[in-house]
Amino acid sequence: MSGTAVYVARRLATSVVTLLGVAVAVFLLVRLLPGDPARVIAGLLATDQQVAQIRHQLGLDQPLATQFATFLLQLLQGNLGVSARTSQPVLAEILARLPYTLELAVAATLVGSVSGILMGVAAAVRRTSWLDFLVSVGALAGISMPVYWLGLLLIILFAVDLHWLPAAGADRPGAIVLPALTLALFSVALVARMTRAAMLETLRQDYVRTATAKGVGRGRVIFVHALRNAFLPILTVIALQFGNLLGGAVLTETVFGWPGMGQLLVNSIFARDYPMIQGIILVYATLVVLINLLVDLLYTAVDPRIRYS
Amino acid sequence: MTLSACGGGGGSANTSGQGQGGQGGGQAGQTSQSQTLTVAIGIDADTLDPAGQTTTTIQNILDYVTQPLVALDKDGKTQPLLATSWEPSPDGLTVTFHLRTGVRFQDGTPFDAQAVKFSLDRMLDPKVKVPLRGPFTAIQSVEAKDPQTVVLHLKHPAPALVSALTETAAAIISPASIDKYGNTYENYQHPVGTGPYAFKEWVKNDHITLARFDGYWGQKPYYGSVVFKVVPEAATRESMLLAGQADVIILPPASDLKALQQNPAVKVLLAPSDRTIFIAINTQDPKLKDPRVRQALNYAVDKQAIIQNVLFGAADPMDAPMAKSLFGYCSIGAYPYDPAKAKQLLQEAGEPSLTLRFIAPTGRYVQDFQAAQAIAGDLAKVGVQTSVQTMDWPTYVATMTKPLNENTTQLHMLGWAPGYMDAEQQMVQFLKADWPPAGLASSFYTNPKVEQLVAQAGQTVDPAQRQQLYCEASKQIWSDAPWIFLWTQRFPIVYSAKITGVSYLPNEMFDILNARPAQ
Repeated sequence: MSGTAVYVARRLATSVVTLLGVAVAVFLLVRLLPGDPARVIAGLLATDQQVAQIRHQLGLDQPLATQFATFLLQLLQGNLGVSARTSQPVLAEILARLPYTLELAVAATLVGSVSGILMGVAAAVRRTSWLDFLVSVGALAGISMPVYWLGLLLIILFAVDLHWLPAAGADRPGAIVLPALTLALFSVALVARMTRAAMLETLRQDYVRTATAKGVGRGRVIFVHALRNAFLPILTVIALQFGNLLGGAVLTETVFGWPGMGQLLVNSIFARDYPMIQGIILVYATLVVLINLLVDLLYTAVDPRIRYS
Repeated sequence: MTLSACGGGGGSANTSGQGQGGQGGGQAGQTSQSQTLTVAIGIDADTLDPAGQTTTTIQNILDYVTQPLVALDKDGKTQPLLATSWEPSPDGLTVTFHLRTGVRFQDGTPFDAQAVKFSLDRMLDPKVKVPLRGPFTAIQSVEAKDPQTVVLHLKHPAPALVSALTETAAAIISPASIDKYGNTYENYQHPVGTGPYAFKEWVKNDHITLARFDGYWGQKPYYGSVVFKVVPEAATRESMLLAGQADVIILPPASDLKALQQNPAVKVLLAPSDRTIFIAINTQDPKLKDPRVRQALNYAVDKQAIIQNVLFGAADPMDAPMAKSLFGYCSIGAYPYDPAKAKQLLQEAGEPSLTLRFIAPTGRYVQDFQAAQAIAGDLAKVGVQTSVQTMDWPTYVATMTKPLNENTTQLHMLGWAPGYMDAEQQMVQFLKADWPPAGLASSFYTNPKVEQLVAQAGQTVDPAQRQQLYCEASKQIWSDAPWIFLWTQRFPIVYSAKITGVSYLPNEMFDILNARPAQ
């Protein structure tokens, strides 16, 4: 086996251990939350006897250890259980929402990183100019702006006043534009700042000066010689951002009525739907673990000096 | 597919907006095959099984698909629907229903007594998840006497039962639909009923689509389909309406109600609701045991000012311990805003200055936490110090339903909305048998007189006599003041001025069956 294959196998093995840890933590955490799921599901007007019946149906009258054993046993079989709220299999419900959330996160990452990198490069090249100032101030504003507020502003401008784009939902053409822009803005700001800093660092290097002296075109110097070498930290930020975006999607999905996992998570927490909360968090954790692995592998592609063994 | 309903003339024909169906048939009206009505709602369904419903908004949608034997009208009265008439036996132990003839389910199978028996038996079956089964447990058995007659045999007289049968949980579903469309007896997600719209599609967290059922027995609605969009954020629902992407929305941001009322592009309905909003007072707390203290708290709150300035007009002050639309309501009086009297009562009770724990939910009722803060301000003016705390709903419910010896709340805000319009479901708030954790009578109130009157009303078949009993119980409760009686909430429905015929039911439901383009 090549060094990379061994590395990947070892990383996958540790990932399984990590996810088991997450499973234990989330099992205990949701049960530490105050609030009786049976009472919430039964509704305020239900009698005590009905609540007890639902508690029994959900297995919540079992000792914690028994519940945990059942949960782990099912988990090892790839079974995330049945939602307490909807009586549907948790995994099927999540898989139905996952594409929406991934679509949104990927769109936001693309928009955020491409525009963030371009802005960061521009700011670094024209250092201390008005452009640099604008990017820095804009990035600061972007980081500080609450997603909720920005989303509503975009809706008022593009849906209510201009009638260009749908205000909410996922079933009309162009519906992804506003939520993706809202979600992207935060990462634009971070990526732009990181790119600017990394570029300033590399532009000062000798090999850049050498390349310029040799008569290499300015565009080539900036994007191939400098950006490529500045790219590792930027890639890290983008990857971490992707994980954040999955989480940030919770708010964005609520504002834009986007039918993804974020909304499902919020609803499930309000309903104290234990199996669903556990399932969603495990899926989130799996995604983050996989992305981190992918980024580490991408490092070797970007910088051939990095070898895993 | 047919285009017009009853072949009648001009499109202006319209009913007066009775509840679902009312006395179907008769009225002529145009219909449109291609046009869609879009309604933006705040939450998604947990289940589409009528029997499994606890959520008003989803019951509202399902009521267009599946119909019960009887329906609620705009005034809160019980009207015929799939049953044309019914009579209780003199001893109150059976109720006989005569069914409407010529009715078909959306799958083409006929509606008859067997279907009624099947649906009600299923609703009573412990194997099926029916959270709101309580009111129906008085039923001993369901007998399909002949195809057009159903007899309910009861364990004891249950005068409120017919009214309870208006609930979505008691809807009649097609027995044939149980093993079709991916349904099972216990997991029923593709409802098939007798209503004017048939269920078509549910994209979770995004929308539920209904298509007009052209074989409907009653007056057919105008729109060929209705889409219910799930949009959790109130401001986004409002934006959708203003942007023309929704025709009807419920619950806009309360703070925008005034602006919406002045906007000529939309119409605002502030529908009366049966939801009473109150502050439950822990009547067993040593500081709060004296009724004079609790009366003082009632005099101390300027309800009128809070309704105007905090709820933007979306409520009516309570004048009895239940909403006007309930059977058994009678107007009792008011606790006018009188801080001087409040101080005097506190003085007399020997509690001139109090410090109380006060909790309120956030986002559950119209402007709930904001109103609680205003109330805390009013209480402070008469020497009652509170600092309002809030928590998420499941935690809140867990906190207020702790048994008396573990319960630490002294004041807490709650909204109570009976699903059917009968005092019986309101009175559980004032009975010792319903003290937490057994029930939600979270003010821990009891009074032998009230207990006796309510018990008697629960078995009395004669309506006039029942009314009298509930009225007497209400008077006693009002003067004992286990609550700070606040207001009955209004339920805001906003719709585009381009449509007409949007109405409401008194239990926080919107009625769009008579909706059509304006002019």
